[in-house]
Amino acid sequence: METDTPVIELNHLTRRYGKLEAVNGLSLSVRPGRCYGFFGRNGAGKTTTIKCLLNLLRPDSGSARVFGLDPRKQEVTVKSRLSYVPDSVAFYPWMTVSQTLEFLAAFRRHWNKEIEADLLKRFQLDPAQKASNLSRGQKTQLALIGAVCPEPELLVLDEPTSGLDPIVRREFIQTVIGAYHGSDPERRTVFVSTHLISEFEGLIDQFTIIEQGRELLTMAAEDARQRFRKIRASFPQAPAGLDLSGALHVRQSGRDLEILADGNSEKLLEQLRARQPEELRCDSLTLEEIFVTAGTLAKAGFQAASGKPERLSQ
Amino acid sequence: MMLQVDFQAGKPVYLQLADQIRYAAAAGRLRPGEPLPSLRPLAEELRINRNTIARAYAELEAQGIIETLPGKGHFLKKNSSPFSQQTREKLLLTEIDEAVVLAHHLQIGRDKFLGMVEERVEYFERKSAAAKDGK
Repeated sequence: METDTPVIELNHLTRRYGKLEAVNGLSLSVRPGRCYGFFGRNGAGKTTTIKCLLNLLRPDSGSARVFGLDPRKQEVTVKSRLSYVPDSVAFYPWMTVSQTLEFLAAFRRHWNKEIEADLLKRFQLDPAQKASNLSRGQKTQLALIGAVCPEPELLVLDEPTSGLDPIVRREFIQTVIGAYHGSDPERRTVFVSTHLISEFEGLIDQFTIIEQGRELLTMAAEDARQRFRKIRASFPQAPAGLDLSGALHVRQSGRDLEILADGNSEKLLEQLRARQPEELRCDSLTLEEIFVTAGTLAKAGFQAASGKPERLSQ
Repeated sequence: MMLQVDFQAGKPVYLQLADQIRYAAAAGRLRPGEPLPSLRPLAEELRINRNTIARAYAELEAQGIIETLPGKGHFLKKNSSPFSQQTREKLLLTEIDEAVVLAHHLQIGRDKFLGMVEERVEYFERKSAAAKDGK
């Protein structure tokens, strides 16, 4: 019925703190059933954006729509259909784990007890333990159980895994994948803000990188890995007269070359092979590497203003 | 069967999965009628999006390599490609061409190259026979 309505739609969203423009004209659109990555450095505006989605902050201009609704006007409807795991979670210290979950369930129309029991077991959380006695990792796990059990259409995760040990992080992500797999998968959407990108690499099917409140790059993950390649070549002698003007970036150190290719890796490889390299390899950039080099990639010919990437060069 | 993915491989993740399953089938590691891993546990194990696995399986199904039994899962089909002989040969030809071009660039001579192909065919035949005996 409304499956074509974007789950999240930002239109020139702007939010200032005093003079600081934390979010500066940000537009993006998340379709149902997607797992959408929202990447940016600390202070790039990720949390501010998410808070605007939840009506925890009001935009100064532009708009945020969730399920096609205005969170400022239909806050309860919007919130009843989503779950949010913030970067630092806090619970009432006097409640036990099971009391906390009962408390959270009381706000929900639907609560899957089976998932609750499964996850408590998986995370080895003692239902009788007081929330105040939980470690940071356990608190995040408890928050995740609270977020997953209502089986919401939208799961919003804000830096959910920072500060967790690798094993807890892994379990956390597997749980998110499980939840994302639940019944009616076409309507399960995940929106995750993180800078621990490699952990979510396989899960993300589309992403936006923001910097200083502005969109830098929006792409489908698979397309990005197909287009952006890193070529490494070693020659018997430092190669002279190679025309690598098609490359996004070239780094040379003596006989070694490192080249960033944008959709033209085949052509560049051909050029390099003709010079009889001793070693030649070509890898896709991981999402994390794309994040790190996003500045270069964005300059190379993406126009971010429309919310959709557009090639300018070539 | 054990599947793995490499995000840097330069090959789309769904194709990596499809290729590994094709390879396992050719080597007899996956036998006709045997089930493929189901989506959710595999997605959790590999920590990848279910859509990626669904896409790999859809591709294999379109090529007649696996079949989906509703409510039961995905299974390796008996050796029956739905494609005509000509189409099948054409599919293989593109792959062969790629190897020929690569061999040229790597300065692997004609005889050496053909010898290597023969060796690989024998290797797979041996593995496949061993897998049958092991049953």
